[in-house]
Amino acid sequence: MTPELRRSVRQGLIGGAVVLYLASVGMLVAFDARAIITNVVNFATVLIVITFAAFGYLAGRPGKGGEPAQPFLLAGAVTGAVAGATVGVVAVLVDFLITGLEWDVRSMWTSVSPTLMELLSFGQSPIVGALLMTLLGFTAGLAAGSLHLATTITRKVILLGLMAFVFGALGAPLFKVMLDGMHIPNRWLFDRDGLTITGAIVLFAAFGLARLGSFRVGGPRQALLKVPGTSEKNLRWVISVLALLGIAVLPWIVNDFVSDVLGFVGLYILLGLGLNIVVGFAGLLDLGYVAFYAVGAYSVAILTARSSYLVGGSVTAPAVAGYTNFWVAVPITILIAVVIGVAIGAPVLRLRGDYLAIVTLGFGEIIRTLVLSDWLKAKFGGPQGLTEVAAVPFFGLNTRDPQILYYLIYAFAGLALFISYRLKTSRVGRAWAAMREDEDIAEGMGVSVIKYKLLAFATGAAVGSLGGAFFAAKLSVANPGSFTLLVSINVLAVVVLGGIGSIPGVVVGSLVLVGLPELLREFGEFRLHIYGAILIAIMILKPEGLIPDKRRALELHQPDHQPEKSVLSAEATEGIQ
Amino acid sequence: MTTQSAAGSRYRLFLERFPVRRFVLVLLALVIAYGGAAGSIATLRAGRFSGEVWANLFISGVARGSVYAIIALGYTLVYGILFIINFAHGEVFMAGAFTAYFVAVGLASKGMLESNPIISIGILFVVSSLVSMGVAILLERIAYRPLRGAPRLVPLITAIGASLFLQYTFRGFYGANARAYPTIPAIQGTWEIGSFPVQKVHLISILGAVALWLVLFWIVERTRVGREMRAVGEDREIAALMGVDVDRTIVFTFGIGGALAGAAGILYVFLFNQVIFTMGFFPGLKAFTAAVLGGIGSITGAALGGLILGILETVGPNLFLDGAGVPSPNQLIPIVAFGILVLVLIFLPGGFLGAPDDKSRA
Repeated sequence: MTPELRRSVRQGLIGGAVVLYLASVGMLVAFDARAIITNVVNFATVLIVITFAAFGYLAGRPGKGGEPAQPFLLAGAVTGAVAGATVGVVAVLVDFLITGLEWDVRSMWTSVSPTLMELLSFGQSPIVGALLMTLLGFTAGLAAGSLHLATTITRKVILLGLMAFVFGALGAPLFKVMLDGMHIPNRWLFDRDGLTITGAIVLFAAFGLARLGSFRVGGPRQALLKVPGTSEKNLRWVISVLALLGIAVLPWIVNDFVSDVLGFVGLYILLGLGLNIVVGFAGLLDLGYVAFYAVGAYSVAILTARSSYLVGGSVTAPAVAGYTNFWVAVPITILIAVVIGVAIGAPVLRLRGDYLAIVTLGFGEIIRTLVLSDWLKAKFGGPQGLTEVAAVPFFGLNTRDPQILYYLIYAFAGLALFISYRLKTSRVGRAWAAMREDEDIAEGMGVSVIKYKLLAFATGAAVGSLGGAFFAAKLSVANPGSFTLLVSINVLAVVVLGGIGSIPGVVVGSLVLVGLPELLREFGEFRLHIYGAILIAIMILKPEGLIPDKRRALELHQPDHQPEKSVLSAEATEGIQ
Repeated sequence: MTTQSAAGSRYRLFLERFPVRRFVLVLLALVIAYGGAAGSIATLRAGRFSGEVWANLFISGVARGSVYAIIALGYTLVYGILFIINFAHGEVFMAGAFTAYFVAVGLASKGMLESNPIISIGILFVVSSLVSMGVAILLERIAYRPLRGAPRLVPLITAIGASLFLQYTFRGFYGANARAYPTIPAIQGTWEIGSFPVQKVHLISILGAVALWLVLFWIVERTRVGREMRAVGEDREIAALMGVDVDRTIVFTFGIGGALAGAAGILYVFLFNQVIFTMGFFPGLKAFTAAVLGGIGSITGAALGGLILGILETVGPNLFLDGAGVPSPNQLIPIVAFGILVLVLIFLPGGFLGAPDDKSRA
């Protein structure tokens, strides 16, 4: 067996294992419900094909120096076929366990349902199904491998077209709602929850051609600059204005549900920006960020909820008469959050980075446990939490309406965005960056590390509590179930995906991680699963995130523990960067 | 700034120089010490619990603590050679115990658990250890190995991702419901020690943990591979130059930590009787607390930390809080664990038996 063949077979086995994994955690069956092209192909099948194709593509990658390490077509095809065969063989074995040995596999592997078995064998008998699966793998691998023969432009055009087609299909329900909202006829494009055949072809062709067109003039940006009378500067203006306009009209072209989801995205943008200050700017990994979210929600609830002991009629002597206004409560809330942020931050600031993370996590759990306990039930309402939080009063508008609250949330998110940008380039931001890169040197340069760390904690806490305040006003409850550790991890995932320290990254991260799973029901179930995978994958493949912050990216690509470096090796690393 | 009044600048100076951190620390220490002491005295005065109850709480604390100690060994071993916190270690522990559940059900349906308890418990230990070991090794290969030499926070974020990923993977495999382990009649009930009844499961957990700890101690201190582990922990590059296969040693470390976690999973099931896909998270965090308490990197420290934490968890809330008039103090157990974690890291970052490592602070 030649090394090339061995590599292909190994890749194929891994590819098969990936598909089997997707099957055994129930993703395939869940995604089978989502059509890509209505009545033609479902997302489950597409996912299998994508996996086979991806491994075929990787296996067929040419070696260094442009010389093919092996025949592409063969490598891709072998990989795909091996992957398909692996899946097929395992499916046959499992089928034998169920029908032959009458072992109730499902009592252990809950996902091994008849639907799954049918899906994996394409509704045929197991053996035929396995052969079909191998054939599918072979074809997908061959096609993917042959992409290497095409020119770069062709390859990119085809890939973008395919991506547009898959994402267009996955987002079909959302796009349909938007097009309906704008009264654009779309029956020819979308059919219920997937694309029509025409739609698939149109999407593929449109994006493919657009990419091809932009290649001709050297990229989309250059294409726009070619238009007479544009320059870098006014192009940026135009884009900003268009983005603002888009945000402004968005709630009116989508339905209430989507506006509600967008509201949540806005909340996560707020939270993400807050955490980004702590983690991204100051380099302090805070895993208890949910504590501030909770503080915000509970403070507003205590100050404005009818069920609060301060407000409610059942308590004999309410400290605050009647309803306190949301706008009165917010500054108080922020103040409380800042105090708590400093109180949590102060004792732990001397700790090493990873210890700091765990301690903040501990603080988050302590706060949640306290809120849940019988001991403080009179204050925080125990597991039920505080209900009937007053809505945000705003010129007599009904702010429970997601389309109205949307604007309020985004106004504050915009404010946080502005503050983030200003902080980042300010003296404070530079002090944070210095501290993050090397604490001792920063201290030596006259940066008061304690002061700036506390400042980071306090700012992060203030922004986070604002998110919590809106959360409570939006849902009209504050209960401990909403403030688990998972929220901290979700926000962290948002920041990490977009790029640690990157402000636009937070926006993109929130849209992708909070918006998409809400809109794609089938994904919702696997949301945390996918978050976990994203955290691992991003850190390994692209630690600077989707929209990298330049300075941060440089730091991340600099090895932390350099071995005792001679002058020579230090120069050498500098030379590389 | 030059035209500032003298009083103003003195005030600013005070603000600049005010030792915020120390002030908060001292205040915190005083409050906790006062609260603990006042609560304990009140509880003991009220005399709601007899001596036997305290003794029982103590023993169940030791049993619980032994399980924490064995899980903590996994954190300590990995930290000792890679200096990363393997946040997903709790999920490694869950994987074994959850998988062994299905073996236990199979054995119970064949009547093996009743007729051959020792053999079946042995099988459970082996299955659980092997599964956990496999998961730990895969984890190292996929999630941690590509990140050697990355800034410290990078593997920590990966570890958090891995923790979530493993939890939901096993949820996908085995379902989202909690499942009750079949009972093993041979280990129900109590043994009389002297005239004092001790629950069999408690004693078995303690003895099992001691045995596991001794095995590990022997491996690390007396075998070749143990010496290699220590060498890699000391200095990876020099160890490699001396002919130690660093990758293999790291895989071995993860494997052995995983196997211990799997075994601890069975001990845990003896005590708590239930498996669910989220079961690993909090024991994992508590075991981490135990490892930090004892001094991370130290094997003896892990055992010590586990025991202290276990005892504080069972005895603590009743002793400190009951007398202070806190209703249902056992709800507040997580506060004990995390409170200890926070306090230890603040006041004694090296733990009891570890060296406070200032050089690696970053």
